[in-house]
Amino acid sequence: MTEASVIGAGTVVSGHVRGQGSLEILGRVEGDVSVTGNVVIGPEGRVRGNVSGAQLSISGQVQGDLRGTLAVLLEPGARVAGDISAPRVGIAPGALARGHVQTDGEPVPTAARAPNVAVRVQAPIARPVPLPARVVPTPAAPPVRVVAPTPAAPPARVIAPTPAAPPARVIAPTPAPPPVRVVAPTPAAPPARVIAPTPAPPPVRVAPPPVAPPAPARSEQKAPLPPPPKLAPPKPEAPRAAAAPPQTEFTPVRPIKPEARRPPPPVVPVISKGTKAKKKKSHD
Amino acid sequence: MAGTVIGEGLTIEGDISGDEEIVIHGNLRGRLTTSDAVTVGGTAVVGADITGASLSVAGQVTGDVTASERVDIQAGGRLVGDIKAARFTIADGASFKGNVDMEV
Repeated sequence: MTEASVIGAGTVVSGHVRGQGSLEILGRVEGDVSVTGNVVIGPEGRVRGNVSGAQLSISGQVQGDLRGTLAVLLEPGARVAGDISAPRVGIAPGALARGHVQTDGEPVPTAARAPNVAVRVQAPIARPVPLPARVVPTPAAPPVRVVAPTPAAPPARVIAPTPAAPPARVIAPTPAPPPVRVVAPTPAAPPARVIAPTPAPPPVRVAPPPVAPPAPARSEQKAPLPPPPKLAPPKPEAPRAAAAPPQTEFTPVRPIKPEARRPPPPVVPVISKGTKAKKKKSHD
Repeated sequence: MAGTVIGEGLTIEGDISGDEEIVIHGNLRGRLTTSDAVTVGGTAVVGADITGASLSVAGQVTGDVTASERVDIQAGGRLVGDIKAARFTIADGASFKGNVDMEV
């Protein structure tokens, strides 16, 4: 007869064990076991894989199917997670078994646990999605904040919050500088208006405010311009702006006033951007 | 008694590792690692790298051997592979092919 085989308590086998003769497993086997003789799994024995033999006597742990051509016996202390099939199946008190048990010796189709595994796998996948969403919103917020502080106080505020407020502020700061430019043409209020055209940038700014989203980008571009607005808006203009809607007044004031030099009429016509540039050049 | 015995009719395809004596009379393909003695019986056919304290070969072994103590090839034994061991003996009638490193 063939010699009995033993996998000792201190031995780990990673792979398949098959052949003739009987086998005693006191250690661990990570793989399938298939022999023609009897298989004994000791109290400390552990098998992860299917086990087949003539008569299986299990006292340890098995994760896998048990198939015996003669019998499968679960001794007290045995823990089996898998299907059991054999002509004779014995489960002693104190043994744990989870799986399908069939005593006619026919092989049992095994596919009960697949669904559970799939569910677990899906759970982790869902998590990644929320992360990108969070990232996206954050970047947008910062630019807006940055813009406000950097540019001159008047332009930044005007664009972001409300169109009406901005014109008023712009006018206030400007009063001091205007006199300088004004000096050349005329000290009276009209010169101030003439200067106003130079600030051309402010009108542009005014236009954007109505559109909330684009604000950040425009603010950056406008930042360099801040100096002109100060000079341009003279004190006299302030009252006008306050009286009429801020947006309307600004746009017309820039182009028209430079040429007129004298006090502008209460209502100013709207001029296209191109006209502004032309006027500036002429002043220079 | 040996801790682990692979009987004559048994075949293992995979790795064996442990801390006890291993006796092989059957077939092994893979790798064998232990901290104790390894004995390859006359009926054994082993195609594996073997690491252990000592190795005694009476059957057929193909693979590199590293032993912390000694390697002995018995009469009738056959070993093809490199050997690294402090002591190494080849009995009359044994066959061996490979390099030997005894500088351990």
